[in-house]
Amino acid sequence: MTIIMMIGGILVSIPFLWMISSAFKPENEILAIPPTIFPENPTFDNFIKLFTEMNFLVYLKNTLIIVAVSSVGLLFNGMAGYGFAKFEFKGKEKLFYLVLATMMIPGQVTMIPVYLLLNEMGLTNTMSGIILPGLVAAFNIFLFRQFMATIPTSLIEAARLDGAGEFYIFFRLIIPVAKPIFAVQAVLMFIAAWNSFLWPLIIANDESLYTLSVGLSLLKGQYANNFALQMAGAAFMVVPIMIIFGFFQKYIVEGFTMSGIK
Amino acid sequence: MSFMKKILNNRHPYMFIAPSLILLILFSIIPITIAFFISFTNLDLKGLVDFSSVSFIGLENYKALLTDDRFIKAIFNTVFYVLIGVPLVVILSLSIALLLNYGTSKLFTFFRSVYYMPSITNIVAIAVIWGFLYNTEYGLINYILSFLSVDNIPWLNEPTLAKISLIIVAVWKSLGLNMIIFLAALQGIPKDYYEAAEIDGANGFQKMLYITLPLLRFATFFVTVTTLIGWIQFFEEPFVMTQGGPLDGTLSIALFIYQEGFQFNEFGYAAAGSFILFIIIIIATLIQFKLRKSDTEY
Amino acid sequence: MKKFFGGFLIVILLIAFLSACGNDDKGEGSGGNSDTITVWAMGEEGKLLKEMAKGFEEENEGLTVEVQALPWENAHDKLLTAVASGNGPDVLQLGATWIPEFAEAGALLDLRDYVKDNPEFAKENYFDGAQTLMEYNDEVVGIPWYVDTRVLYYRTDILAEISYDEAPKNWEELEDAAQKLADRGDGQWGLDIDQKDQITPFIFAWQNGYQADIENNDLNLDSPEFLGAMEYYTSFFENGYSQQNEGLDIIQAFANGSKAMFFSGPWMINQLNDQVPDIEGDWSVATMPGNTSNTSSLGGSVFSVFHTSDNVDNAMKFVSYMNETETQIEWMEMSNALPARVEAWEDPKLSEDEKYSVFGEQLNDAIPGIQVEEFERIAQELLNSLERVNVGGADLEDEMEKFNQTAQQLLE
Repeated sequence: MTIIMMIGGILVSIPFLWMISSAFKPENEILAIPPTIFPENPTFDNFIKLFTEMNFLVYLKNTLIIVAVSSVGLLFNGMAGYGFAKFEFKGKEKLFYLVLATMMIPGQVTMIPVYLLLNEMGLTNTMSGIILPGLVAAFNIFLFRQFMATIPTSLIEAARLDGAGEFYIFFRLIIPVAKPIFAVQAVLMFIAAWNSFLWPLIIANDESLYTLSVGLSLLKGQYANNFALQMAGAAFMVVPIMIIFGFFQKYIVEGFTMSGIK
Repeated sequence: MSFMKKILNNRHPYMFIAPSLILLILFSIIPITIAFFISFTNLDLKGLVDFSSVSFIGLENYKALLTDDRFIKAIFNTVFYVLIGVPLVVILSLSIALLLNYGTSKLFTFFRSVYYMPSITNIVAIAVIWGFLYNTEYGLINYILSFLSVDNIPWLNEPTLAKISLIIVAVWKSLGLNMIIFLAALQGIPKDYYEAAEIDGANGFQKMLYITLPLLRFATFFVTVTTLIGWIQFFEEPFVMTQGGPLDGTLSIALFIYQEGFQFNEFGYAAAGSFILFIIIIIATLIQFKLRKSDTEY
Repeated sequence: MKKFFGGFLIVILLIAFLSACGNDDKGEGSGGNSDTITVWAMGEEGKLLKEMAKGFEEENEGLTVEVQALPWENAHDKLLTAVASGNGPDVLQLGATWIPEFAEAGALLDLRDYVKDNPEFAKENYFDGAQTLMEYNDEVVGIPWYVDTRVLYYRTDILAEISYDEAPKNWEELEDAAQKLADRGDGQWGLDIDQKDQITPFIFAWQNGYQADIENNDLNLDSPEFLGAMEYYTSFFENGYSQQNEGLDIIQAFANGSKAMFFSGPWMINQLNDQVPDIEGDWSVATMPGNTSNTSSLGGSVFSVFHTSDNVDNAMKFVSYMNETETQIEWMEMSNALPARVEAWEDPKLSEDEKYSVFGEQLNDAIPGIQVEEFERIAQELLNSLERVNVGGADLEDEMEKFNQTAQQLLE
């Protein structure tokens, strides 16, 4: 079993490793055939160029703002998932199908209408305009609902009998119990926010609102592509994700500690 | 008591779902409604500047789509992607999750991250490295196959084969996310279930068949539905690797819509295409829900 | 668990703080007859343009230029939303192929009056091909900024081996050289043709005397000149002179000699120098080998003024600054983009450079894609048809007939 896992793991991670190693290659080596797994002449030039050519701190600040605000989205998604999983109310089925339907909408078709809407609301060229459209997502609500449904209703009933308020129950009881799924979602949310690209570009009429991803894509030419530089950018973008993943996966592994509740 | 409960249950669920619902209505439902109206017009770039030049053309866009060879081909290709890709993703990510859940040592924790790597690999890196792996003459895959005296295989240059090649890339990329969902679900299975089964003398295989898999029903259903929806909207891989070629062999419906809308500015036509795609997804999802209902009812 | 929860709280507090700051960032956008000129430019150019704008600001005290760089790949999306909301910049860099669609949509201000009054913007200042880019339906919609054109890149050492001491000069020689190069053995090719490049088939067509009749809405795609050129194009694949499959990246293939000839633009000079420095001195560039003419394509960018701008006078001041010959030379040195103004080419940095001078010569016979809104679409249809012939083995005559019908339909 362990051996299958290791072989599979190596096969699966080759492109990722290649991306990292390419970041340290000079331009004349990156497309060499056969490709070198480890750079023959390792260099930091790509990273130096990356930082000198980008308005780095501004992009980083914007990216972090988006990441931070997105965690409100995480909370909203969790609340909605809980609402759909653990309550009976009028129109529940219909509203849930409505939520699901938004997941099925092909992304590109709503771009221009959403932009016009934000424009009407006076939110173009603002941080709110960048963040709001992507704050909640049906996929995440659905995921929360699926997992919250497995939480025993008796647990909630017991808390209610003790006189706990609904929001108290959600924050003090549900969130701790649903930790693994919050951890999964936090990772997903972080990645999405960290990589946010299209709206920062569309909404911003000012480069001071650009994010790291937008900044990186500026390095691409119309005809000429400096792959080494792009790989350095991509590698740099991935490091924080790995750290976050490493941190949160502890919670995923820890698992439910439901035995005490049962 | 039941009266109290009624009051509680009337107000709170709405408060829990309201923030999400408002945002979704604002940024998904309203825009798609606007797009729905656009699909009956001939809106193009000119129309964006001057709305008076936009005219209502009824079902013309839909009629034209159904006779558009490229659109028909895109539908066919998308069906191909879904039929092969979705089962592969579900089975493989479940297998990997089971494999990783098997042990708890540091090594297993480490490989959890390893299997997650593809889903965070940058799309440009994916295009470059897979493009190299698939290269007919210089690619690593054909190089390895040449030792088994297999002739050069044109991975991305033959329509059917190119579809399969893109499926491999997409499966590879989506394993990480779904694996995590399965893992989280596996962690949710109380250990005492297994202990009880052991006392009854169940072996590993039986435990998996009678405890693990049934309890993963929720997760499996979720992964299947979302993967299905995602694959019907298959876009990124053909977009960066083949642009729909060769001979439109890898063109997907979503890519077709993107090209019509954002490269050729035929917004009305693209919106109509999106609606057909939307309807296909709804039908496919409803079938999934129906299948699941019958599954839980017996 | 406590830690998880605490982290969550901190995050929420952070948001409250940061989003408060974030909303202060609200910029002014375009509009307002202000002292700020907003400029949208693409990719790397956008970033370099900021440097150039400093010179302008020094010369024009009180005016500031705000350049926003847009990534090439997504600039089109961004422009669409700008057109939809009327929320655009004052000055806009537009690539050659995008001019007709945005001009047709009415998103570009008619600059006729400015051009009439200012000899510096006179058509004659620019290469013939660039003049075509300035006008759309009798309106002046853009001032040429920089240009590019395709030439023949070839390996001097390898062509000498097959007794070509100079680059092929016409179609016959090109075909002959390609044959000899392909005959060197398996995996050796004659001429590399990028099958995804939209303009190459048209370059062949122009070289064969093809012309579109835009005024009468007739693209002439069934003319013998056009069909003959397509036959010539496909023959390279049919005879095995050009590789059908993706194959090796062209720069690597050029370096190892398996593909010793290809067409490309000025950007390739730096790429070759940076990526394969070993072959320096063993390659050169030459003007296009042609049939009835040696025509090549003309690309590049123009400056346009967005139709909703209310800062037009200042906007044109900036365009005028970028249009000066010295600025154009300075820009060339900074970005390696070729000046659109003919006069700038008298500078020895261009006229005496062995490679750039070839581009200068080619620019005298270079024309942009057909200036109709649907050109990109038509060119894509043509590529699809040619692919069906080259890869799918379809009949050229049938395909061209179908293509001609589709193209004319698109035009109507």
